[in-house]
Amino acid sequence: MPEAALSPEEGHEQQGQHAPHAGVRKAVVIGGNRIPFARSGGAYTRSSNQDMLTAALDGLIARFGLQEERLGEVAAGAVLKHSRHFNLTREAVLGSALSAETPAYDLQQACATGLETVLGLANKIKLGQIDSAVAGGVDSASDAPIAVSEGLREVLLDLNRAKTLPARLKVLSRLRPKDIAPDAPDTGEPRTGLSMGEHQALTTAQWKITREAQDELAYNSHRNLAAAYDRGFFDDLLTPYRGLTRDSNLRPDTSLEKLATLKPVFGKTLGTEATMTAGNSTPLTDGAATVLLGSEEWADERGLPKLATIVDGEAAAVDFVHGKDGLLMAPAFAVPRLLARNGLTLADFDFFEIHEAFAGTVLSTLAAWEDEDFGRSRLGLPGAFGSIDRSRLNVNGSSLAAGHPFAATGGRIVASLAKMLHDRRRVDGRPARGLISICAAGGQGVVAVLEAYPAAEGVQA
Amino acid sequence: MSTDTDGSRQTVFLPEAPSLSMLYLNAAATAARRRISGARPATGLPDARHGLRGVKADVEKLTAFQHLLGETAGDFLPSGFIHALAFPVAMSVLNRDDFPLPLLGMIHLRNRADQYRAVHFSESLEIVAWVENLRGHRAGSLVDLVAEVRDNDGVLRWKGVSSYLAKGFFLPGVDKPGVDTDGVQGGGPETPFSPPVPTALWALGVDTGRNYAGVSGDFNPIHLSVLSAKALGLKRSIAHGMYLASRALAEVGPARSEAFTWEVMFEAPVFLPARVSLEISTSRSAGGHWDRSDFTGWNPRSGRRHFRGSVATLD
Repeated sequence: MPEAALSPEEGHEQQGQHAPHAGVRKAVVIGGNRIPFARSGGAYTRSSNQDMLTAALDGLIARFGLQEERLGEVAAGAVLKHSRHFNLTREAVLGSALSAETPAYDLQQACATGLETVLGLANKIKLGQIDSAVAGGVDSASDAPIAVSEGLREVLLDLNRAKTLPARLKVLSRLRPKDIAPDAPDTGEPRTGLSMGEHQALTTAQWKITREAQDELAYNSHRNLAAAYDRGFFDDLLTPYRGLTRDSNLRPDTSLEKLATLKPVFGKTLGTEATMTAGNSTPLTDGAATVLLGSEEWADERGLPKLATIVDGEAAAVDFVHGKDGLLMAPAFAVPRLLARNGLTLADFDFFEIHEAFAGTVLSTLAAWEDEDFGRSRLGLPGAFGSIDRSRLNVNGSSLAAGHPFAATGGRIVASLAKMLHDRRRVDGRPARGLISICAAGGQGVVAVLEAYPAAEGVQA
Repeated sequence: MSTDTDGSRQTVFLPEAPSLSMLYLNAAATAARRRISGARPATGLPDARHGLRGVKADVEKLTAFQHLLGETAGDFLPSGFIHALAFPVAMSVLNRDDFPLPLLGMIHLRNRADQYRAVHFSESLEIVAWVENLRGHRAGSLVDLVAEVRDNDGVLRWKGVSSYLAKGFFLPGVDKPGVDTDGVQGGGPETPFSPPVPTALWALGVDTGRNYAGVSGDFNPIHLSVLSAKALGLKRSIAHGMYLASRALAEVGPARSEAFTWEVMFEAPVFLPARVSLEISTSRSAGGHWDRSDFTGWNPRSGRRHFRGSVATLD
């Protein structure tokens, strides 16, 4: 669908009137565990991805009594990963208290990694291929892999192939001082050379998102996250690691006034007012998150809770390279498609978890959904897609406050939302419902719908 | 420095962690002094225990230790790390003027460590160390160096017993036994060793000793470089026994329960650089739960056994 023009009618024609999960069994979220997220260069500076993923996994195992259990599968990933950690997730399983006979695989879809592991494993559970799974993700901006320069890499590879001393010397003679400089990873898009922040600055300006609106979103994120910690919301979602018991980026005492004093860091050369600061953008962060999934039977056999069901998910991508859409705007297309397939509108949700890569990302997405022209020309709808009740948005804080260790964010959100849905149970005679939206590098996005368990009326979990 | 009296034994609490490099220097000076003056050392073991309170792990050192030994960098201290924490206090006992054997050149023959409950890195610990069980050996004199680690509530969390041989050092009144009764070997192995099928191969670089010294603080010159080892009569530097044992413990993996005993017998030194073949065999209870793992390390070329040991549940 090149123009992303999908009318609800077309969607129903292609997919049928029933939701795609009809006829398959349920995949339920049993619980989750993460370690507190740490600002890069902080408490987890020396911890590797494998260390952090294992710490989060071991906390999950301890919480749900999974020692020596053989699970169906574990899937996780990291965005910044050294090639020698090709089997990161399997290595974490081997280093954990799970049975060594638990298979595992790595997945990488930039910031959508964590959510995509949840969806992929949930599908396997729904199809009956596996009964239990752990999904997750981890990232370290502190312990990032550093590659050698292309020049040095080529010399080293050729040197390995050279058979004789003169041949080796000839290869070595190609080395230039500039080749010694290492090649560190950055958040730049390979095809545009623009950093993610600069890309978002273009989108933020396009949708005329004000500095005040971005700061307010950031303020709410900190306030909501701090309140969630204070009332013990994370007590069964988190295990301390390396002395941290809360996300180190959280500023409970921040204020709109303080946020207003920060200098813009992105979009300073656009000709419009630069509005994106370190306060309304996520910092580089280290951390890991895991989610335990299972079939209803698997959970029941072990007396484990069933918090929510994974209803459906959708991925989308935008053509951002020449500016047709903003880099992080794919969820603006994925959500209308997902909701159409499931016969839902934005009014049918009690919680919205829109990942705060930047405050501008969330606000640009909401602005696009509220825009008549965008709805008609880009989404193929009769008018605007709709607006959300802001009081239902990121009610326990999100990435601006918690931080955003890329691949760990999906697991953080799924586990938290499942708990919120379980606490709310039913709304207006239907199960409480939540929407997750995560944007990712490369112009991609993955979104999902979760519902409180039990789905049937009158049944108590 | 304060003292507590426990029965007949007195515990001397040290004001701060002793510096191992100063202990090694002092040991060298004591050895020289005894050689020059011809002074006869004491013949019995000192009764005194050495203690240190408020010992806490340094997180950065802990992480470096875990990464070097192949442990996941979690929040609980590897048993070998606790050994390293206690080591300076234990060494300070061997460094006492009334300790009869020469500290430098003593050979670590056997180590046993019982971990009763996992120790979190943030815990404040009390370490008490002493020597006991001086006995004869056909190659010299054996002594046990004991260290106990307690938490703030006085609960015993970890206990280590290291057996050392002072080779060629015979004390009056201590008999040479005909047969080793406690399994500690000083010379050749008692039964011929035929190498099993290995489960792993370690490639140990020449810097293995320096790297372990960096994370454990044990800068004994025999481990650091060819030159420093030669100065003490070895042909090359050798790997720390506790490096080999800790690495084997890491390879046993998370199957080991929280409370376990870990034992190792060192037979032939591992001269660096080296390749060491390893075999780990695990036995499980009737219910399928991990019960114990036995490990053996040997030289894949000569077939000579370097060490053997076990990790087992502690009841």
